[in-house]
Amino acid sequence: MATEKELSDFLQSVEKRAFKRSLYHVRNEESALDIVQDSMMRLAEHYGDKPVNELPMLFHRILSNCTLDWFRRQKTHNALFSHMSDFEGSGDEDFDLLEAWSGPEGGESAQSAEDLVRRGQTLRDIELEIQELPPRQREAFLMRYWEEMDVAETAAAMGCSEGSVKTHCFRAIQSLSKALRAKGINL
Amino acid sequence: MHPNELAANRFAQRVTEQLSVGASELPYDITERLRASRMQALARRKKTAIQVRTAPALVTAGNSAVLGKGDGGTHWWQSLLTALPIMALLAGLVVINLDLDEAGTLEVAQVDAALLADDLPPSAYADPGFVQFLKLGGAQPH
Repeated sequence: MATEKELSDFLQSVEKRAFKRSLYHVRNEESALDIVQDSMMRLAEHYGDKPVNELPMLFHRILSNCTLDWFRRQKTHNALFSHMSDFEGSGDEDFDLLEAWSGPEGGESAQSAEDLVRRGQTLRDIELEIQELPPRQREAFLMRYWEEMDVAETAAAMGCSEGSVKTHCFRAIQSLSKALRAKGINL
Repeated sequence: MHPNELAANRFAQRVTEQLSVGASELPYDITERLRASRMQALARRKKTAIQVRTAPALVTAGNSAVLGKGDGGTHWWQSLLTALPIMALLAGLVVINLDLDEAGTLEVAQVDAALLADDLPPSAYADPGFVQFLKLGGAQPH
């Protein structure tokens, strides 16, 4: 049975990634925070007495369910498509802004600032491409590689077969690789 | 592992490294709200834990009320400990009842003994003439 400290440490270790994952799905900070809070509450309330090694799978499953609940409440399809069009618009604006930033300035400080901005832009591009992935691919990819869960754990958390997890991950990597290369980002 | 699979894993790791950098640079207000959410969740857990250890309590069902045990603490000795005060109360009531019975019996016996030991026979109290005699002051010493 997980002690209060173990539960607290676990939640602290996953809360930021959980927020970002929710944000990739719902694209709204307030909603993402609500989803994470709801997930933490459900975990603590219903599974707070479970062994600490079972907490990751349970939490990610709860997080997925809470996100699905949010989409159901938001009339799933309308919310999804309107957000996709919002995303396309904002992506272009960010790109233009950074084109202006990498201007003809010289010097060491300007160079480091330029690096900083470029790193920020790379991160934003990666996050935008993650958001562009189909939900199941994104979920499988993030659980498998970001949360470092193995295939069986990911399958249990997603409620699908291990073969499906492998397929989702493979397609997600292919799509990400292609999209990032097209943007000139080589990882 | 297949070379393509290795390359895919390396690519995925580099992507998630970047994502981790982004997650570690969240604004202060977001991290504070996440912290507050965590605290609330932990408080909720405490409340649940207390409820799980609820001692035997009054359970109402329809118009009746019965004593029921809580969800936790199913060891026989815990049940025994819980029953001890009730057993002590019952034992006390029995002792008090026996004591009262004995005291009442002794009182009646004393009255009976006084009546039987008196010079006047008990049947005299049932005689209407004797009552009249008492009213007229016949009991005054001569």
